[in-house]
Amino acid sequence: MSSRERILGRISSALKQKSAPLPFQPRPMFPPVGDLAERFAAECKSNYTECIFTASAAETQRTLCELLNSVGTGDVFVEDVSELRLRVNSSRPLIWSSQQPAPETSMVTITGVEALIAATGSLLVTSDCGGRRGTIVAPVHIAVSRREQLVPDIESALALVEKEGLPQKNSYIGIVTGCSRTADIEKLLVIGAHGPKRLVVIVEG
Amino acid sequence: MNPAAEFLRQSADKSADLGHRKIIRWNIGHYDKAVDKGRTRYADWEAARERSAQIKQEAVENMDKLLVEFEQKILARGGHVCWAENAQEARQYIRDLVVARGVKRVVKSKSMVTEEIHLNTALENLGCDVVETDLGEYIVQLRHEPPYHIVTPAMHLTRTQIADLFRDKLEGVTSDDPNELVDAARRKLRAAFFAADLGISGANFLVADAGLVAISTNEGNARLSTSLPKIHVVVTGIEKVIPRLRDLGVLWPVLASVGTGQPVTTYSTLIGGPKTADEIDGPEEFHVVLLDNGRSELLADLEQRDALRCIRCGACLNACPVYKNIGGHTYNTTYQGPIGSVLTPHFRGHDFDHLSYASSLCGNCTSVCPVKIDLHHHLLQNRRNSVETDQRPWTERLAFRLWRWMMMSSTRFRLGSRLGKLGYRITKKLGLDPLKPWTAYRAAPDIPQKSFREMWRDGNV
Amino acid sequence: MARVLRKIGFEIYFPEDQTCCGQPAFNSGYWDDARAVARRFLRVFDKAECVVGPSGSCVTMVRKFYPELLGGTSPELSKFYEFSEFLTNVANVDDVGASFPHKVTVHDSCHALRELGIKQGPRRLLEKVKGLELVEMPHSEECCGFGGTFAVKYGMISAAMGETKSENAKSTGAEFVTSIDPSCLMHLDGVLRKKQSPVKTIHLASILASDSNSAGAQS
Repeated sequence: MSSRERILGRISSALKQKSAPLPFQPRPMFPPVGDLAERFAAECKSNYTECIFTASAAETQRTLCELLNSVGTGDVFVEDVSELRLRVNSSRPLIWSSQQPAPETSMVTITGVEALIAATGSLLVTSDCGGRRGTIVAPVHIAVSRREQLVPDIESALALVEKEGLPQKNSYIGIVTGCSRTADIEKLLVIGAHGPKRLVVIVEG
Repeated sequence: MNPAAEFLRQSADKSADLGHRKIIRWNIGHYDKAVDKGRTRYADWEAARERSAQIKQEAVENMDKLLVEFEQKILARGGHVCWAENAQEARQYIRDLVVARGVKRVVKSKSMVTEEIHLNTALENLGCDVVETDLGEYIVQLRHEPPYHIVTPAMHLTRTQIADLFRDKLEGVTSDDPNELVDAARRKLRAAFFAADLGISGANFLVADAGLVAISTNEGNARLSTSLPKIHVVVTGIEKVIPRLRDLGVLWPVLASVGTGQPVTTYSTLIGGPKTADEIDGPEEFHVVLLDNGRSELLADLEQRDALRCIRCGACLNACPVYKNIGGHTYNTTYQGPIGSVLTPHFRGHDFDHLSYASSLCGNCTSVCPVKIDLHHHLLQNRRNSVETDQRPWTERLAFRLWRWMMMSSTRFRLGSRLGKLGYRITKKLGLDPLKPWTAYRAAPDIPQKSFREMWRDGNV
Repeated sequence: MARVLRKIGFEIYFPEDQTCCGQPAFNSGYWDDARAVARRFLRVFDKAECVVGPSGSCVTMVRKFYPELLGGTSPELSKFYEFSEFLTNVANVDDVGASFPHKVTVHDSCHALRELGIKQGPRRLLEKVKGLELVEMPHSEECCGFGGTFAVKYGMISAAMGETKSENAKSTGAEFVTSIDPSCLMHLDGVLRKKQSPVKTIHLASILASDSNSAGAQS
């Protein structure tokens, strides 16, 4: 008998005795999310995400240009997808995800997102957004999104994950809420641990 | 020295350490404020607790089915699943992998289970360089100490102590500014991430229906540990499995809420396997080690089965007045605080019964537990188990036999009280202090001249 | 307690045969011994219509733990009340005509708070006491550190918890700390006097029994 069989055998045997079920009266845990864009913007402010609303692809392009100028020297890595090919226009040399994974020397990565989560000011991303590295490896991450990608809360984001069959397509799926941080030193909040120190989300539309 | 005696000594020392008391109170004070603020995001926190408890109970009650469902999905994506009955088997699997792949450099994101199986030592004995990447774990690793707390491993240290440590071990540290300290650690650990052959992580949850491993961090260290090296190994307890992906909509915010007071942890990660053929980066190999190590036995204990709901949030540690005075190291176990005291006798035997006695049974732990584990009640049950399996000293058994004999008769009770008072006065006259265990720390209580019983009899009430 | 109950019109009786509810043995894991004493306890109060006790932990033992210890539930357990909850929930009385012109702070005893839900009741009663100034201490719900045999088995931890509680009490400027549990008060009193603190302990019942004709007697 293998360890697997022994472990499962013990579990099944233990579970022959059932615990009394726990009652739960279904009721909402959270207050209503409200206007999705407004809530998203407010939450971004709380979690140190820079949230920029743009009205058009042209405005997004200009914003991206300004942002790239504000960021220090280092590689610029961009997710190779048509929306970003159209909007990322810079004199700086660009590394596209179709060429290689985001290098260690990346200063900024630019990716799309799967969804925006209003209730927590979060992004839903996958390994499709510039690989697994695309959303974590550089000190600055710029996420380009559309207003219609807003969903109310985590539960609806996960429903989307299921509906789109994302676990079958991507080995990594993640919810990113603000920039990397730690409070391991005397409970004092420090922004910028191992992930991005600066997170910018452009919401177009 | 046996664990109980060692615990008594250390807990006495730590309780008297006012510096320690101050820093723990400071940190937990911050935590309390953050959690209170985070709680205001909920319209109905009790609903969140009830739903979380219900989800985890469903998971525990269907553990076999759910683990098999999870395993099938992982295997279908080209991942490997190892079922380890005990620490030795888990270590062996990982050791074999390390040797077979020629692994030299390992990065780890935080995993209490890897502490439980003493994995780091085993890997170091193979000649591996093992680096903890959670900042708190990294700090205690540099100090050659075990973690002090299951969520904030370095909670017992001041920034000055950390600065001194970093000045000694890292470059570019000139002050005790936390920003500078974190930056120094970031630089050092970034190099480790990119150079590692193997990334080891724990799991906060194992999602059965989608076949995904859920890992939460604020720093992003699990993201890098699990994306950059060629091999990713997850080490997890079997009780981490939950039924549905949708359940994370409840559990992720609850975990963050009581863990740190946040709406949700910064990086809530889901990993299903090695990189697919289409993906541009990610590990080529993915392994999940499912550890039993006493959990299936606890499952068979219907009374205490609910302890397997634990999501390792740390709320009970922060709520416990005993923990606040003795700190995490005094327990000398992987899991500290109330949950540690409940679990450890089940995982490691009766040598650790004393932890269940080192409690005033105040019940604060039970009231804060987000999955409604009846913690303080389990401590009481552990005490009963200790008595019923004959673990108690004969002096104690005799004392209670005598107590019972006295309490079964009001005549004996009154006689005993009177003799007790008399004996107390006599021994005091002789210069002895019969109440020494009490008076070591407190003034002796005033014994009233007449008890209520006596006043009633005299008609003086 | 007897004085107050009589004052508000109840006839009281003290069954002299009573000894103990069994909690010390129960808490130490000696459930067989506790069981014998518990059964005896219920027999002693068999004929009583209603039983009132000045201790949250004893009443918790009876109402909340006897079912587990003795197996099954029993309707007769609901006739046991802690003193303050008897006044507020059964007698429906807030004001017992007491007078106690001092600054007082409340310690919320664990059993009463978490098992019986007693928190506002004592405060309502104290607010009606003439001349009494009620102040809240920080962390009033935190355990004082008594915990039965814990106080002796792990004396240092118990004392440290007691010290924290006494510091919190002192910080309010109160003259008295009160609670509905004599064991908490005995422990706190020991800690306070060892530190030569000016704060004194007093049981809620003693406060409620005080009037302008008598000084508050210590529990």
